[in-house]
Amino acid sequence: MEVRPILSAMLRNKTAPLLIAAQVALTLAIICNALYIIRDRLSTAARPTGADETNLFEIRFYPHRPIADIRGMQIRDLEALRAIPGVRSVAWVNQIPLGQSSWNIGGLTTEPGKRDSNIQATYYFSGGSLIDTFGLRLIEGRDFQSSEVVESDPRKERAEPQVMIITRALAELLFPGAASVVGKSFYLGGSDDAKPVRIVGVVERLQSPSAPAGARAELSMIAPITYLDGYTRYAVRAEPGQRERVMAEAEKALLALSNDRVLLGKGGFDELRARRYSGERIMAGLLIAVTGFLLLITASGIVGIASLWVNQRRKQIGVRRALGGRRVDILRYFVTENAIITTAGVLVGLSLALALNHVLVGAIELPRLPLIYLGLGALVMWLLGLLAVSGPAWRAAQVSPAIATRSV
Amino acid sequence: MLKMQNLSKVYRTHMIETQALRGFDIHVREGEFVAVTGPSGSGKTTFLNIAGLLEEFSSGEYLIDGVNVAGLDDNARSRLRNEKIGFIFQGFNLIPDLNLFDNVDVPLRYRGFDSAERRRRIEQSLTQVGLASRQRHYPAELSGGQQQRVAIARALAGSPKLLLADEPTGNLDSNMARGVMELLEEINAAGTTILMVTHDPELAARAQRNVHIIDGQVSDLEHETRRALASLSTTPEAV
Ligand SMILES: Nc1ncnc2c1ncn2[C@@H]1O[C@H](COP(=O)(O)OP(=O)(O)OP(=O)(O)O)[C@@H](O)[C@H]1O
Ligand SMILES: [Mg+2]
Repeated sequence: MEVRPILSAMLRNKTAPLLIAAQVALTLAIICNALYIIRDRLSTAARPTGADETNLFEIRFYPHRPIADIRGMQIRDLEALRAIPGVRSVAWVNQIPLGQSSWNIGGLTTEPGKRDSNIQATYYFSGGSLIDTFGLRLIEGRDFQSSEVVESDPRKERAEPQVMIITRALAELLFPGAASVVGKSFYLGGSDDAKPVRIVGVVERLQSPSAPAGARAELSMIAPITYLDGYTRYAVRAEPGQRERVMAEAEKALLALSNDRVLLGKGGFDELRARRYSGERIMAGLLIAVTGFLLLITASGIVGIASLWVNQRRKQIGVRRALGGRRVDILRYFVTENAIITTAGVLVGLSLALALNHVLVGAIELPRLPLIYLGLGALVMWLLGLLAVSGPAWRAAQVSPAIATRSV
Repeated sequence: MLKMQNLSKVYRTHMIETQALRGFDIHVREGEFVAVTGPSGSGKTTFLNIAGLLEEFSSGEYLIDGVNVAGLDDNARSRLRNEKIGFIFQGFNLIPDLNLFDNVDVPLRYRGFDSAERRRRIEQSLTQVGLASRQRHYPAELSGGQQQRVAIARALAGSPKLLLADEPTGNLDSNMARGVMELLEEINAAGTTILMVTHDPELAARAQRNVHIIDGQVSDLEHETRRALASLSTTPEAV
């Protein structure tokens, strides 16, 4: 209602309002994108692996010297681990979710001899049941039967699995739109001698160890292979609440079995998660700091300029009061003035935010900014402006009307 | 219109206590044109500020247009100022970033008039002071006398019953001062009560009644006395 005269008075001294509006616009553009990146990174870091993370841990060993009977060692290890009270399931594993290093196979195809497939999946294998040990949810088919397990000695020839369990994400990529994939076959590459692998089961989700952002994260397959390598890695799933104790006992038990190996590491899956996503967390923390800093700077700018204006206009405020302006009218004057500037900044800032997002989408892997972030950012800027101007505006409202006749 | 009884005003700064008004009695009737004179520091501005509800007084009683001012809250005082009182200041006090139209509009917006009513009043009062053609001009583009006329238009636009002017001609040369004085006389003739502080004896002499303030107290030269004095001093010339 009072906007028109405030606006026209402001247009007579444009510089400071323009600077503040520009600051608001820039801040808005940056915080919209920063908030979105923070959100994106944190939700990336929060994706489930499909495994029962809270109860799982891994334990890894490396031998001092070559081990003669690797198969025997694995059997004894697994028995020793199963004997620990509170252990629910144990398996030798080649890799684990969130473990970061992974085995991958590219060129997966449903057509024999097709060489240009770009479907790649991570390759889990174990002689035991990963469905039980990781706690995966089987949504179609069945787990492996012991007769399907093949033995592979890396020092000799590579054994080829006949059957596999794959994730739903991989199933959808290999067989788009198929209602059921159990019984269907695919090939691990396009070479002419590639043998078909039959799918016996589908799990809802199993993230790859590297857990890249986006749709590739859940392209995984599991093969029934007993792998005879001196390096051993076990995944242990404890009963709820027992993990820490089981982990300590597992280390003791395995080292007692054989003293010619060293413990490479052990840890719960949540530790792995923290390690895997430390970069994301640092990034988010940094952006939060930058956002907070920017908001602070902008708020200080508004407080500063509003205070200056209040001081410069003390006489004018007194005159307005003398002419019948109430305190609330003075308050409203400064709040409205600030709202005009903030709104101008917000309007420019919204398009700036979209432009910045456009650049970021190209530069880093980031989806388009959802509109809700623009709304949220605009709201934040308005509230910030209101908060920043409230102090100076309140001081303006306290100016005595007697100023009108008293000062020169 | 305005009645003060045994009013006092004390300013307290950290060290000094100034008794700006004491035992102050005055009764201004509706339609009067009162010139307030007195030495510097005697309390003229203080009196005007209290009369105009710009400042509170320390003790005593003050009624304006029948309303007892004591105990009114800030909003009520603001409304009273807006509806009943017009101010004219020595330094004009126009808002530099608003054009004449918007300057006169300020009190009318506080009054809550709709825009048609405000426009009508603005045009009428600017016409009355002879500046209707300059509505879109800014104060800096006018002479001092013209600025004071705008200030008068602004004071008049809300049709106040009481006009308070603190040395309205103090910043003007005698030619412009006379013009402003004539304008005030017209306004008074139309029924508005005027209280005007002035240092100019010539202007004071033109008012109906002179109130002299010395040391925070009124020494009221009543109408008749002043007339008698005036006729005494003018008789020799007339002869
Ligand atoms: N805000 C204030 N704080 C303290 N003392 C004040 C204040 N305002 C006025 N005074 C004192 O009150 C007394 C009366 O001042 P006032 O301004 O009313 O005088 P005046 O008659 O208008 O003088 P002048 O003709 O110079 O304008 C003076 O002694 C002045 O110093
Ligand atoms: Mg004075």
